Amino acid sequence: MKRIGYCILLIVLVVPMLTSCMGLRQINELAMVAAVGLDLGEKPGTVRLSAQIIRPADARGQTGAPSGGTGEPIYSITTEGSSIFDAIRNMGQISSRRVYWAHNFLIVMSEQYARKGIDDMVDFFTRNHELRMNTWVAVSADKPEEVISTVTGLEVVPGEAVDRLFRDHRIPGRAPGTNMMSLEESHLSSSTQSVIARVSLQPRGVSNKKPGEHGSIQQVELKGAAAFKESKMVGWLTADDARGVLFFLERLDKGIEVVTCPDSSTDMMTLEFNSAKLKVTPSYTQGSPKFKVRLTTSADIVENGCSQTTEQLRKDAGEGLDQELTKTLEGVIDKAQHKYQSDFLKLGDVFRNKYPTEWKKLKGNWDDAFSEAEITVVVETTVKSGVVKATREGIK
Amino acid sequence: MKIQISNGMFIAMILNIMYAKAIGVTQGVLARAVGQDMWLATLLGTLEGIVMMYLTYVVIRRTPDKDFVQLGQLLLGRWFSSLIALVIFAFFIVAFGPIMITFVYHLRDYFLPDAPLWIFVVTSLVVGAIGCYYGLEVMGRIAMIGLLFMFALNVLITIGSMQEFDIRNLLPVMESGLPRTAKASMHYLADCAMATMMATLVLPLVKKVDIGNGRFGVLGIIGSGMMIIIWAILEGAVLSSEVTSQYTLSCMKLARNAHIGTFLQRYEMIMIALYSLPALFEVMFCIYGTSVCISRIFGIKSNRPMIIPCCIVLGVFGYWIIEDHFRAIDFLENYWPFIALPVAIGLPLIMVLLRVMLGSKLQKKSA
Repeated sequence: MKRIGYCILLIVLVVPMLTSCMGLRQINELAMVAAVGLDLGEKPGTVRLSAQIIRPADARGQTGAPSGGTGEPIYSITTEGSSIFDAIRNMGQISSRRVYWAHNFLIVMSEQYARKGIDDMVDFFTRNHELRMNTWVAVSADKPEEVISTVTGLEVVPGEAVDRLFRDHRIPGRAPGTNMMSLEESHLSSSTQSVIARVSLQPRGVSNKKPGEHGSIQQVELKGAAAFKESKMVGWLTADDARGVLFFLERLDKGIEVVTCPDSSTDMMTLEFNSAKLKVTPSYTQGSPKFKVRLTTSADIVENGCSQTTEQLRKDAGEGLDQELTKTLEGVIDKAQHKYQSDFLKLGDVFRNKYPTEWKKLKGNWDDAFSEAEITVVVETTVKSGVVKATREGIK
Repeated sequence: MKIQISNGMFIAMILNIMYAKAIGVTQGVLARAVGQDMWLATLLGTLEGIVMMYLTYVVIRRTPDKDFVQLGQLLLGRWFSSLIALVIFAFFIVAFGPIMITFVYHLRDYFLPDAPLWIFVVTSLVVGAIGCYYGLEVMGRIAMIGLLFMFALNVLITIGSMQEFDIRNLLPVMESGLPRTAKASMHYLADCAMATMMATLVLPLVKKVDIGNGRFGVLGIIGSGMMIIIWAILEGAVLSSEVTSQYTLSCMKLARNAHIGTFLQRYEMIMIALYSLPALFEVMFCIYGTSVCISRIFGIKSNRPMIIPCCIVLGVFGYWIIEDHFRAIDFLENYWPFIALPVAIGLPLIMVLLRVMLGSKLQKKSA
């Protein structure tokens, strides 16, 4: 009898917990953010925050206005505050639903915001338990609120479209795939600097209804990157530089390069390189670091506009690719060393790993040591096939 | 009939009592102390823990049916056994602080930030009290299931983290130097201390403890080391030591980052479900340890009447610790190892010394 009494008491105590009423948030009461924009506010010292919120009724299914909806799959709002959190709280004054961040795909910062410093941004977005750590991060020279609210042709939710651009960023290989995870790591590291992908609005879309108005629709383009020193943006990297960055930071192993035919300045051939491997070997002589950067890769001719014999073509293609890749690597190294004096290529990390004692001496003055370091680039490529075609010559 | 637990259960209990705190809270502390050498500090701590556990075995080797409290009575009489019981009681009260930090902060900070703190303290104590009420054998069985959960959790975190694994983040090895790494290892050793103090009460109840040459306890510490070092390596290589050092619960940071492919993300809720059992076992054993010791002090045969009073004391202390995050971190880093280690190392050492000094007296009494 006593035991039954205890059981009943236990059930009575446990049942209220099963209702899950504590901290209750119903899905239809949430404003799900798909992308966030950060900019400097109008008043000095303030932050302007824009959020792209999904309208569930309009975002479901395919593009186009479903019955009963407004036809707009997203709702974008902007607020300002003294800090990011303050701006978010101020959003509560506008949004009828509670803003929910767990499904955010993207954070876009304006160039001005990034140049002022991203300490608070990194801290806020990593401190908040709701946020995903694989949220993509980008910098834009355009207004972030415009970037995040630009509806693209294929996806209903723009944040999702940029998410897919990032997911496949290694295919064009023209921008790094920066997410909160990698940004936090480089931001906190004492031996490397951050580099963040660039997004911009480009008139690339073609209207189906008015095809004559070519490029009338703005689209988000993922191309290039922003270089940082400490926590502040110091400048832009071009798409070629960004490819160089990818070799160092993301072990890029595939890509295409277009090289000029040796017998013509107008004809081109396209090579697809694969199995690329970049190795950085540091050394230390007479108090200064040195690096040997060696890139080895094999390549296939995937498009040929040159009229040469197979043997000659192979040799020229290899040399052309060598030159292109060397130019890419040297270009980004030069920018890191001399233009921005910022080690975003993780060479400090490599040096520290091999020479920990020497690193302790150079650590405090690494920017200077890095900018004066001797870096040699060696590229070795082997052209292996013309894919399904044997030669261009045909019957001899 | 005297309750006995199997060797496997004993090993599982060691793993359970160390795992929950050591994979996250301790790794964060180690990262703050020695950066990427945190896995080495864990390894050193494991080696030190093996010695500590063997020392505990040495104490009861000649009298395998007596725990530390009973042995104390045999050596110097009732006052000494009460003193030992009081020390062990105090140890488990203090140990409840880090355990609550681990348990509550995982659930509250990452899943239920709006829930009041007392909910977590009370529910864990209710579950712990029920397990403790049913006795050591039930706790041993729970530990066995907990062991399976720990394996599953390790598999999930390894699969989810391999995509981001960068071995360069673990280099250079021993950058902090041996003395600093050895000093940092005491934080991990403090986790081993919970296992050795558990052994002071449980070891005589393990089947065939006298013929194992202390092997089961040592195996438990080695097993724990293997399970925990995976986390130390993953946290260092995936997150980097700089990121790991920023967080109170670095394991949750790793779990938050984990993803299997593109579509399976944010599965930390599954991981936390697997993690909860070892965490609850820790709570359970704290209640067991305190209730057994206090019942010995008052000369009560069964520990059951003391379960609720012990829960109240543990609950009050645990709540006080976790109520303020800064206090919790301060306690964890600056007080807990300096309380745990002198007790866990000192107590077996004193007992060994007393055994040597009073060996003949003990033999007569045993005879």
